[in-house]
Amino acid sequence: MSLKTPPRPAETAEQGSFSTEYMRINVGPQHPSTHGVLRLVVDLDGEQIVSLKPQIGYLHTGFEKTFEHRTYQQGVTYSNRMDYLHGFAHDLAYVLAVEKLMDARVPIRAQRVRVILNELNRIASHLIFFGTGLLDMGALTPFFYTQREREKILDIFEMVAGVRMNYGYFRVGGLYQDVPEGFEERVRAWYDDFQARLDEYRNLWVGNDIVLARTKGIAVVSRQMALDYGLTGPSLRASGVDLDFRKATPYSSYEDYDFVVPVYQEGDLWARMMIRFDEMVESARIVRQALDMLEPGPIKDPDRRISLPPRHELENSMEAVIFHFKLVTEGFHPPKGEVYVPTESARGELGYYIVSDGGSMPYRVKVRVPSLVNLQLLEPSSIGGLFADMVINIASFDPVLGDVDK
Amino acid sequence: MTAPAAGGPLAAALASLAELDGVASEFKGMVSVTLPKHRIVEALEAVKAAGLVMLTDIFGIDYLTYPGHRGKRFAVVYNVHDISGAARLFLRVELDDGESLPTATEVWPGANFMERETYDMFGVVFEGHPNLRKLLTPEDLEGHPHRKDFPLGESPTLFNDGRFIDPPAFRAGLMGKDPGLTGWKGGAREGVRSSHGTLPQGPEEGGEP
Repeated sequence: MSLKTPPRPAETAEQGSFSTEYMRINVGPQHPSTHGVLRLVVDLDGEQIVSLKPQIGYLHTGFEKTFEHRTYQQGVTYSNRMDYLHGFAHDLAYVLAVEKLMDARVPIRAQRVRVILNELNRIASHLIFFGTGLLDMGALTPFFYTQREREKILDIFEMVAGVRMNYGYFRVGGLYQDVPEGFEERVRAWYDDFQARLDEYRNLWVGNDIVLARTKGIAVVSRQMALDYGLTGPSLRASGVDLDFRKATPYSSYEDYDFVVPVYQEGDLWARMMIRFDEMVESARIVRQALDMLEPGPIKDPDRRISLPPRHELENSMEAVIFHFKLVTEGFHPPKGEVYVPTESARGELGYYIVSDGGSMPYRVKVRVPSLVNLQLLEPSSIGGLFADMVINIASFDPVLGDVDK
Repeated sequence: MTAPAAGGPLAAALASLAELDGVASEFKGMVSVTLPKHRIVEALEAVKAAGLVMLTDIFGIDYLTYPGHRGKRFAVVYNVHDISGAARLFLRVELDDGESLPTATEVWPGANFMERETYDMFGVVFEGHPNLRKLLTPEDLEGHPHRKDFPLGESPTLFNDGRFIDPPAFRAGLMGKDPGLTGWKGGAREGVRSSHGTLPQGPEEGGEP
């Protein structure tokens, strides 16, 4: 550990010969309030934070290196494992980058299904944010309510992708398979139920005195600070910057939907909380609109360079069998070049910078993960505040440590 | 899907970068500017003044095994965009092994973690960085994992009868770089042919035939 012990605070006249020392506290890495394996070395002057150093890397898995040794289509297996709370965002960011490289044309039905799942996942992620965030304030009950709603969303994911986590459902060029029968009815039923739940949440904690007292005006991130540190996502919009890549550079048919990007000017804990509440409302609206626009149609790019031939063709076409074999064993070969597609995950700007050397595996994949960059704001916004507020401050940036460490 | 071509900040940034010996290129709507190493801080200040006020990412690329690559081994890429998110620019600096870069933390404090990650993964030293330590890998790990000559660290798949699949050779076959599984043209498959049931000592990257 190369951190230096902080200097002893200067003795003032009032203190006389009474000397105080900073206390160094180790927070985490294995503690519920750190939302994963985040370790913080905090120096305290009484209850006030003097310095705070995040120590990360406990979950470093080398996903970027692994990508270099797997074919492009196999990459979907890894991308969603980084941000386990908003996995569809990583899947989407990855396939969008590869599709840009391949000039793939994704059918509109696949794009809409992607949006529905991505926004449902965003809501599920924000529900975890509220559950655990309020838990950090000492409110135990909301966690169970938000988990209840999240379970319903995960049930939908299980219905579609077969799993509740680590979906791997998107494919380069479209989707793995079409959504099952009854999907639309189920999401509509979820939507109606969720509207009632949102009212319940409003009554429960929006405007709650204790929540206001713990969050208003605390751990303020100014607009300039947010820009200097590269903060993105809801936390940035809570500091008064209207930047959402779903609006700025629309992808996957986001331009078709009518939704508002909520922006708060305060930049405090309260704004960072409330903005996610508003985002849940807007995400539910997007889901509803995408459902209304969902029409039957193909779900894969018909381009045989990318997509597997349909099953029935394999039975009477030798060429189809050859294509199938080559795609499964070797994969496709994108042209040489470097691409990046920015997307908006529940945590901020998420993009895959992919370098292709013309082979069937990426030459280099760099994941621009939002949590890692956002975590830098933790120190400047916590300093001078109370230790108990820092715990809520961690939650307010909503880091996912899998996303931080890659 | 591609970023719309914006007139304002991007054009202004490109104009000021041209004065700093920047060479611009475009691929699928993405504009990259390659700069000489000693001008990078000036260039970052210039693009920030031109309106590209957010530094999104700094990362390295190792071109050691890139086919047909001429020039220096590493590239460090700075990903900047404007406040509306529509105008985006990639600044590139090329480096050889052992060369260092001036830090960007003076221009953007947020460059701190990004430079630490690049140092960790590629060994690129950023001079003047306030706290240039490893970010993600353990302190006792030797080397820089994202360099192309850093092994992946996987073990061969062993079958009951003594056959094995050596992962690098297997992959080289898949990619058509080596006669492996799909490139099989008669003769024994890689792994069956070599060394009759003994595992290779320390499989190397790239797949030796």
